[in-house]
Amino acid sequence: MIKSKILEELIDRWLTKVGTLVAIFITFRGHNAPGGGFAGGLILGAVFVLQYLAGQQPTIRRKPILNPERLLGLGLLLALVTTATPLFVGGAPLESYIWSITLPQIGKVKIVSSTFFDFGVFFVVVAVVLMVLTFLGTRGGAISHEPTDGAG
Amino acid sequence: MVFFAAVVAHFAVAVLALIGLRRRPVIAACAGLVVLAGTALVVVTQAIGATSAPRKTIEWLPLLGFNFTFQVDGFAVVMALLVSLLGFGVLAYSIAYFEHDATFTRFVGLFMAFAGSMTGLVLAEDLFTMFIFWELTSVWSFLLIGLHDKSEVARRSAVRALLTTGAGGLCMLVGIGLLQNQFGTTSFAQLREAAPTGKMASVAASLLLLGAFTKSAQFPFHFWLPGAMAAPTPVSAYLHSATMVKAGIVLLARTAPIFGDTGVWRWWVVLAGVITMLIGGWRALRETDAKLVLAHSTVSQLGLLTVLFGIGSPYATYAGVAHLVAHAIFKAGLFLGVGVIDHELGTRDVSKIGAARRSVPVSVVAIGACLLSMAGIIPLFGFATKEKALVALLDAEFGLVGSIALWGIVAGSVFSVAYSVRLLHALVRTPNDSASNDEHHAHHEASALVRTTLAAPVVVAAVVSLGFGFAASTVGSWLVSPSSALDVKAVSKLALWPGINDALLISLVVIAIGAVIGWKAPLEDNSAQQPQGERVFDAVYDATIAGAKRITAVIQPGSLPIYVGVTLLLVSIAPLSATFVDGFGSLSGLTSGTALEASVSIIAIVLALGVAVLQSRFTGAMFLGGVGYAIAALFALRGAPDLAVTQLLVETLTIVVFLLALRAMTRITTRPVARFPQITRMFIAATVGIAIPLLALAARDARTAPSASQEYFARSVDEAGGRNVVNVILVDFRGFDTMGEIVVLAIAALGVANLVRAAEQHRRAAISVKEVAGS
Amino acid sequence: MSIWAFTLIAVLFAVGSYLLMERSLTRVALGVGVIGNGVNVLIIASGSDAGEAPIIGREGVLADPLPQALVLTAIVIGFALLTFLMTLAWRNWTITGNDEVEDDVEDRMITRRAEQTAKLGDEPHPEDVQT
Repeated sequence: MIKSKILEELIDRWLTKVGTLVAIFITFRGHNAPGGGFAGGLILGAVFVLQYLAGQQPTIRRKPILNPERLLGLGLLLALVTTATPLFVGGAPLESYIWSITLPQIGKVKIVSSTFFDFGVFFVVVAVVLMVLTFLGTRGGAISHEPTDGAG
Repeated sequence: MVFFAAVVAHFAVAVLALIGLRRRPVIAACAGLVVLAGTALVVVTQAIGATSAPRKTIEWLPLLGFNFTFQVDGFAVVMALLVSLLGFGVLAYSIAYFEHDATFTRFVGLFMAFAGSMTGLVLAEDLFTMFIFWELTSVWSFLLIGLHDKSEVARRSAVRALLTTGAGGLCMLVGIGLLQNQFGTTSFAQLREAAPTGKMASVAASLLLLGAFTKSAQFPFHFWLPGAMAAPTPVSAYLHSATMVKAGIVLLARTAPIFGDTGVWRWWVVLAGVITMLIGGWRALRETDAKLVLAHSTVSQLGLLTVLFGIGSPYATYAGVAHLVAHAIFKAGLFLGVGVIDHELGTRDVSKIGAARRSVPVSVVAIGACLLSMAGIIPLFGFATKEKALVALLDAEFGLVGSIALWGIVAGSVFSVAYSVRLLHALVRTPNDSASNDEHHAHHEASALVRTTLAAPVVVAAVVSLGFGFAASTVGSWLVSPSSALDVKAVSKLALWPGINDALLISLVVIAIGAVIGWKAPLEDNSAQQPQGERVFDAVYDATIAGAKRITAVIQPGSLPIYVGVTLLLVSIAPLSATFVDGFGSLSGLTSGTALEASVSIIAIVLALGVAVLQSRFTGAMFLGGVGYAIAALFALRGAPDLAVTQLLVETLTIVVFLLALRAMTRITTRPVARFPQITRMFIAATVGIAIPLLALAARDARTAPSASQEYFARSVDEAGGRNVVNVILVDFRGFDTMGEIVVLAIAALGVANLVRAAEQHRRAAISVKEVAGS
Repeated sequence: MSIWAFTLIAVLFAVGSYLLMERSLTRVALGVGVIGNGVNVLIIASGSDAGEAPIIGREGVLADPLPQALVLTAIVIGFALLTFLMTLAWRNWTITGNDEVEDDVEDRMITRRAEQTAKLGDEPHPEDVQT
């Protein structure tokens, strides 16, 4: 769709990398500032949309994501496990656990268990966008552009 | 408890007859006889002579106050004995009556189910319990009236009976709900203590009365009962003389002590009862089918019972209990007796039944005794009870209502003497054409056993009517306990010969006039036009069905736009009407907003209007995106950065999705088909547009408690380790919601995938068809 | 609630319902999108007063976070719904050559039957008899 070689290169080289990092950052910081799994997932989704419009396969670090349904399942599973895990240690579903660890160079970092839940949301949103692109975009486009007679 | 077990046993036999013993209905009927006799035995041994009435509650929905409560007091004992003993007699009779009739197995099942429900109804000590059994009897009665389901008359009558009694039952349910709501109980005893008064009690009482009147065929619902004569004779004898129609009387008897003093009650029951008595009596004088004569006489007698139980005087209650017993006995005997004649002659025409006295003389004599009891002639039991009724009303002091009741009963008694005498006349007269009955004789050669079985219950009824008459004082003492269960002051006695008093003089005059009218009343008079009540019912019924179809045709024409339009209109009517009731006061709470908010809103409004006006698909999608961006800005202005970011990204993706999908389509949408006028759509859209923001405003003003967020603010950092409360709500406090939400997302995505796959398959199939055709 | 939010909700709902009553699925989808936006604005406007972002530690009066959380999920769900609807419209188009919702034939038959009014006790209509 976008026929500019430079733009293609730009998207391929930089946008996906920067976009992926930004998306992960936004998801992480969502707990304390605007952001979160929905916003992060949508940002990465937007990156893939740009790749698609540039006529490329959605990729991260040049590895194409071939099966978005798997990603969808992974996201749901991650969210579900986070929901259910406190049940096994005697807590309420989705009860949060807060770990404070001190990393060298960086300092004290607080990790909250619900962050994993947010990443589940993140994966689901990304997968939804990818599925729309693969099915309605690539495969649907293939049908629409086939020569037909009568209907269409 | 043994009484519950007895009721359950009835239903067990019913199931057995309908499922297990389809081919051997006589065995099922015998099991039914055992259960009925056993129930009578249980009632006699367990309840009579007990120091306090046995009582048992099974909790069903204790939090709502819905329980099954049985209390076997004196009145319940009498009613239960009537139900099971008459049931025994009728079931035994039906074994002979239904010989060679394929519907017998269904009859036995439904009959036992009915008897069980009726037993439950009379034992109930709680309006709610009573209601359950009440509705069950309506259903069984519907099925029994329509037993011969091939007959159109039977089907029509069954529907009439079901809808009439069913509608009354619903009114009753509303009344019960009102009482439950107001007093927190539906138990008769507790309601009596609560002594409801005031407007609410009047409404509830009127609703309960509607239930009782429909069930007991009181004016203006008297029409269904004669129609129910389409049922076989045992059904008519049992349901429509002795038991089901008494359900309304039982309800009246139980609730009269509670509501007797609310203003409307006495007027309602006396007027309905007197009018019913007169209408029933008049029709009974004109019908030519003996069974219909009896049906109308039942209507008339039920009017009398309604007055006696409803008026709320202790003596009248006592007289009511006595007459209820008398009526149940003689009327069952009469119905079964007419069944014997019908079986014998093949006709029930009053001008022809005179021939029966040659072929079934014993039955005819028994029928005559029952008729005399109905007319209230000494020495039969009916005399003693009707005498008591007159005395009770002469003594009662209720002013104008009391006088109406008294003279209504006197007039009604003239009728009941008259129609009884008319039937007697029909029985003793030699019919004009004796040729026709020989012909019937020929093909009714029933065995002696069958004929004896058929005649036996009739004879028993006659003997009991006579015996109770001679033993009136003893029977009267038995009835003290039942009537005092309803009203502690209702202690009186019966006598065969009360001595010369006002009541006796009135009776003599009544009997004289009635006898003359009855003897002179023509037997051939053919006034066989459909009664007014039935015609009104049919007209209402047909109009309802036709109206429903017409409304369906308008609101369900198959067009999705119209469905959506109707739904939207209805959705907006509710908030609009609420606003009209409450006034538009909340509109004054609108603020003018900041200039920035104003400009962003105006942009969004203009773009939204553009979506509606422009016919190009893609431009529409772009404008929709524009609306979304403007709203994202609005969110940012209102302190919702999370929303602004998400909205911005989503709108971008939405435009992309539209772009992908629209690649295949034409640029411009076609104009809608003219079925749904443009102006109507605009009107509905405008209504929704006005209603919804008003609703939003009202919702905003309706807040009474502080937002749940106060708690979230307090707990966010400590318990969830996050400062962005929106995000913490999403992943922690309301995490389950989010879990559900991402599942919805996943489903939508899989839906998209499968729709595309389906289109691919369809296309492949189309191509292969084309290839086959091409080659 | 400001007069502007009020008017905006009114317009969004009116336009949305107008579009919902169309036959073209694309227009219906646009209507769903517009109404969806209307609902989101409604919840935010009637659920809380304007304020600072509800992040603990910020200065000033914080906005109520609960409606925001509700609307956030609603936005994403709305996107999924629109996507599904548009795929439906697209599929309709590839198969039948248009994206219009046809009339329901069964319902039209009910309408036709209403013209022949049945009376109590009539023979059942042939279509009601199970075969």
